[in-house]
Amino acid sequence: MMLFELKVALRFLREGRGQTVFILMGIAVGVAVQVFLNTLITGLQADLINQTVGSSPHVWIQGESEFDSETKLLEWESIMEIVGQREDIVAISPLVESNGFIVTTSEAVPVQIKGVKLEQADAIYKIINRLDVQTRELSGNQVLIGKGIADKYAIAREQSIRLSLPNGVVQNYTVAGIFDLGNEGSNATWVLLDLNQAQKIVGLGNRVSKIEMQIQEIFDAQEVDEDLEQRLANVEVGNWIDSNRSLLTALQSQSSSSIMIQVFVLLAITLGIASVLAVSVVQKSKQLGILKAMGTKNKHASRIFLLEGAILGFLGAILGAGLGIALVYGFLFGTSIDTGTPLFALTVEYKSLIVIIVIAIVASTLAAAIPARKTARLNAVEVIRNG
Amino acid sequence: MDNQKTLLEAIDLSKVYGTTIRNKVLHDLNFSIAREEFTSIIGYSGSGKSTLLNILGALDQPTQGKIIFDGVDFGQMNEDALAVFRNENLGFIFQFHHLLPEFTALENVLIPTWIKEGRSHNKRLKRAKELLELVGLKEYMNNKATNLSGGQQQRVAIARALINEPAILLGDEPTGNLDSESTQQVYRLFREINANLKTTIIIVTHNDHIAAKSDRVIELSDGRISRDYSNKILSEDDAFSQVAPEYCKYCGKQRQTKSGYVL
Repeated sequence: MMLFELKVALRFLREGRGQTVFILMGIAVGVAVQVFLNTLITGLQADLINQTVGSSPHVWIQGESEFDSETKLLEWESIMEIVGQREDIVAISPLVESNGFIVTTSEAVPVQIKGVKLEQADAIYKIINRLDVQTRELSGNQVLIGKGIADKYAIAREQSIRLSLPNGVVQNYTVAGIFDLGNEGSNATWVLLDLNQAQKIVGLGNRVSKIEMQIQEIFDAQEVDEDLEQRLANVEVGNWIDSNRSLLTALQSQSSSSIMIQVFVLLAITLGIASVLAVSVVQKSKQLGILKAMGTKNKHASRIFLLEGAILGFLGAILGAGLGIALVYGFLFGTSIDTGTPLFALTVEYKSLIVIIVIAIVASTLAAAIPARKTARLNAVEVIRNG
Repeated sequence: MDNQKTLLEAIDLSKVYGTTIRNKVLHDLNFSIAREEFTSIIGYSGSGKSTLLNILGALDQPTQGKIIFDGVDFGQMNEDALAVFRNENLGFIFQFHHLLPEFTALENVLIPTWIKEGRSHNKRLKRAKELLELVGLKEYMNNKATNLSGGQQQRVAIARALINEPAILLGDEPTGNLDSESTQQVYRLFREINANLKTTIIIVTHNDHIAAKSDRVIELSDGRISRDYSNKILSEDDAFSQVAPEYCKYCGKQRQTKSGYVL
């Protein structure tokens, strides 16, 4: 019996053109706002998270704290072997850390000395591509320094610098390159040198301070943390989620306020459809009465309005999705006028697009349920008697 | 009347409107309608004509009593069954035409078949065109209902009432809104349908000429049958004098009703 109701529903919509266009625009604007808002918030959060953890370790292992602040790891190579069993670990890098100074003729500049294997560290920190020189390995007497240090103290490549450590070791190195990690803190304090060399001057022998990792799904960090804690004895494991609580709380409340806005937009659409269709039932009561007199069953008569709701929801949602995508590209274009690149990357997620469309259709159909019930109750005799 | 000839039977039919203030519109009516009979129901406004017709057409339910249609008791059917019954057995024609303005004349005629079959069939299309030809509107079949005159709309409504080949055609003042020429056209149409398609016809009418030309007249006053007689063997003049003696031009003196024809 569906085709007949569909035919009548479509005809009612087509003949009530003004009303149909009006309500379609309402749905489309609502859906467009949802699509845009959703894309914007998702993009913004992805960008923020990427800035936070994209080029830094997600999970790390260090020795258990002793009385002094220095914590050390033993047998780091066997630890790395155990850790390597987890397949979701995409990068792993040993690190020797120490405070120190670059001593110039006039002053001592506080720096963080980081001994790494450059290629392994690169997998986490993306250093190699952000160097002003092409190199993949550091020899014993070479260091890499941050752009912040280089600029502030006028240190150029190939120049020699003197490193001084708290344990009294003082050693000369050649600056092999200058990196710009896009992060003020790292650029202003990091001095990278070869792992073995660092072990030697810091006095760790064959030990390291930390093992740093990146994992496939960043939000699995806590779970990976717990797993490693169980597998390894006498170590402390940390992860980015626990050390970025406030950021994540902020993101979460941003997400929930975005959902709140979307729910209210949806509610507004639904109420709009419900009220327009309710008016339409009154307008069409004569037609509905006559259809019933001619033998249309109550449930079929009400199905006409359910179908109207579904059709409006479908068309409006498709229209709105298009409009929303246009808004996203408008935003990308608008924010890239000055700089040439957009403020941050936005990608319309088709999964959430489909979810929004489906929700709009369901909501529109539900909105039609009230007028549809009214239709079912409409009495043919009353309509006919009153002309 | 034997069952073979009886199409419809009203037994102790009463209708009361309202619950607090009870308004009894029909009082214990008993009558039957024979197959292929052309019956007019006449009476003053408020005499219960339309209410009776709506009950006969399964649109309204009696407060008491029952309708037996071709052996089937309406009271035993639920709303959906009644809807199907209306669709398949009854053709309605209303005073206010009641075409769907969103559809063309042809589509309006087809709507009862859509309701019946859920979709359109080509053979129905052919029949709809034939019916539109029968009512003389074939050229107008693609006009929107709103682009037709009152008389044309009413003739489309008649075609629509006939599309599912109903056993009975019910008209509630089908000519009430029409000029005299259209009224004549519609009447002739009813007669043709009655003769050719063997359709039983019951119309509620204020039009004395139409009533006089029907086979049988049931006159209601205050919800009771005050007169019920057959016109069949009367001359047109005699019949007219029955229906409206006060307007009768040709009957110089009031004729005595022949016994047996006033029931």
